[in-house]
Amino acid sequence: MGIDVGKFLKSPEFDIRITTYRDIFQVEALERDRFGEDYRKLSACIMLSKNDLHRMGFKPGDRVKVSSHSGSIVVEVKESKRDEPGGLAFMVNSPWSNALVSEDTGGRGMPEFKEISAKIALTKDNVTTIEELMEFKGKI
Amino acid sequence: MPSVMELYQLLPRTNCKICGESTCMAFAVALLGRKRKIIECTPILSENFKKQKEKLESLLLPSAGAEETGMIVHPELCTGCGNCVVACPVDVANDPKGAAVGHAPTNDKVIFKIVDGKVIASNIRECRRFGKNRVLCYACIDPCPVGAIEFV
Amino acid sequence: MLFGWSNSTCEAQINGIRLAKKMGAMIDDTSSFCQGMLIEKVLQNKFKTCSLEEIRDKADVLVYWGSDAQDSEPRHLSRFSYFPRGQMRQRGYEEDRLAIAIDVRESNTAKICKGHFYRISPKGDREFIFALMDALSGKVPSYEPKKMLELAAIMKKAEFGAIFVGIGLTYSIKNDFEILVSLADMLPNFNIMPMIGHYNMRGFNEALFRETGFVNRVKFEGGAHDAKYSIVEALRTKSIDALLVVGSDPVSSLPRSLLAHLASIPVICIDPCVTMTSKIATVTIPCAVAGVEAAGTAVRMDGKIIELSKILESNYPSDERILTMFMEAL
Repeated sequence: MGIDVGKFLKSPEFDIRITTYRDIFQVEALERDRFGEDYRKLSACIMLSKNDLHRMGFKPGDRVKVSSHSGSIVVEVKESKRDEPGGLAFMVNSPWSNALVSEDTGGRGMPEFKEISAKIALTKDNVTTIEELMEFKGKI
Repeated sequence: MPSVMELYQLLPRTNCKICGESTCMAFAVALLGRKRKIIECTPILSENFKKQKEKLESLLLPSAGAEETGMIVHPELCTGCGNCVVACPVDVANDPKGAAVGHAPTNDKVIFKIVDGKVIASNIRECRRFGKNRVLCYACIDPCPVGAIEFV
Repeated sequence: MLFGWSNSTCEAQINGIRLAKKMGAMIDDTSSFCQGMLIEKVLQNKFKTCSLEEIRDKADVLVYWGSDAQDSEPRHLSRFSYFPRGQMRQRGYEEDRLAIAIDVRESNTAKICKGHFYRISPKGDREFIFALMDALSGKVPSYEPKKMLELAAIMKKAEFGAIFVGIGLTYSIKNDFEILVSLADMLPNFNIMPMIGHYNMRGFNEALFRETGFVNRVKFEGGAHDAKYSIVEALRTKSIDALLVVGSDPVSSLPRSLLAHLASIPVICIDPCVTMTSKIATVTIPCAVAGVEAAGTAVRMDGKIIELSKILESNYPSDERILTMFMEAL
């Protein structure tokens, strides 16, 4: 990649609450090929309400970096077709959303999959791949 | 609406000319324009092409129905849940031991069927929106959360 | 630790439990971070429950709570709950049944429930339960009084009700399952149905419950059950040094921050598919697909035993057979 001036200008960052859900077509894509293009497309995205899109100045198709205390990922923005009041973003349950979930369960063993606090900002980076999510220190 | 290429891919593609068209592609165009019927392609009636013929029928049925009842099926939206199959009052009456009680249809008299995970409509003349005593029935639309069935 | 199990036949699960017992190992399944706690309460008879066929034949009020059955159990509404004409519900969903959705999002299931969708905020389930209990006991709840009184009136009138408890509700109330038990106690005509995603999670929970009295998170050495024997805590505290995964993909389904330890220890993976876990496993043993290439039994969400038959030949052994071979080798 060449030098990209835009990369050094910090995009405004917003606080966001994320909850995870299940989508039948994403699960179908997983059963077909969890390393395939369809599964990535249907998983590596974040669904925002119209209000939130407007407030943050994002457009559907924009790439955003979503970061929590546990990790960060780059995903694509989608607009929720439902009539959502806003303030809550949705991600399909997948290795992408799991990169943001904390391992701290207060000793209970039940991670907080359904309420993730994160920061969200526009980025020019590429969408995180499943291969990147499988890279761990000491072993690939 | 299927594309000409989709239909062509399912034909025997031998350009045998039995149907009277010069090529299978020309026959596909005629099929799409509803100038020809699938059965006019006699080679596809053989057992070898059974699957392809069924697929063709399912592709062409939604719009065949649309002419008569205004029903349009959007297979790309359909999740294959079968709510419409079970909820349709015609299916209930025609298949009381199958579709009516939540099972897959046990006969060919039903309007809705799920084939390869997608809804297809047949026996469209049985639809309550069709014929002299037609009623404005919503029994297949209301149970579909994704809007895969609509009437125009 | 021996982990996975919710996509295996009962026969393979029983072999897995035997294997864990023989080695004094820890055993846990996906219910550990899913519906385990709810199933435990069901198996302890804390709730009134029923079969899916009874729901089809009798149920008049259906409550999908934190559960998007349309997307997670796509044949649930059409086969068992809302749409079929049951023995006592001959007039179909329009007249004989009422469906209610309680959820943080307008899911596909909520869309079907149309006029009876109650949107709550994340973790709002507790407040909702207390408000509903107030309304049921004739008090005016402080939370959404009008809607809650309306909902309570519908539920009180039910002849045969069902609450489908989804993972949304389970995650939200966590260790506080007693409040759901208290609510259920106020609704004598209602049955609780755990909404389970994996086809045989309940099978494993029942098998381990018969053996140990617990549905998951067991360490056979010392015969103990504790949250620290859950896959999540065992990985977080790095207290396991080898992992056998059967029919599950923890690398995909667990928080990523836990996975560095998983990736640093020997992992044996038994699965019919290539998964993220099989890709990083030290040893992967492909197995036959149960219900397609191998026969066996499974337990449905309501506890009914389902026979799975073999319909295709396969060159791979079943997971049940592989586990038997492990036992023989040990």
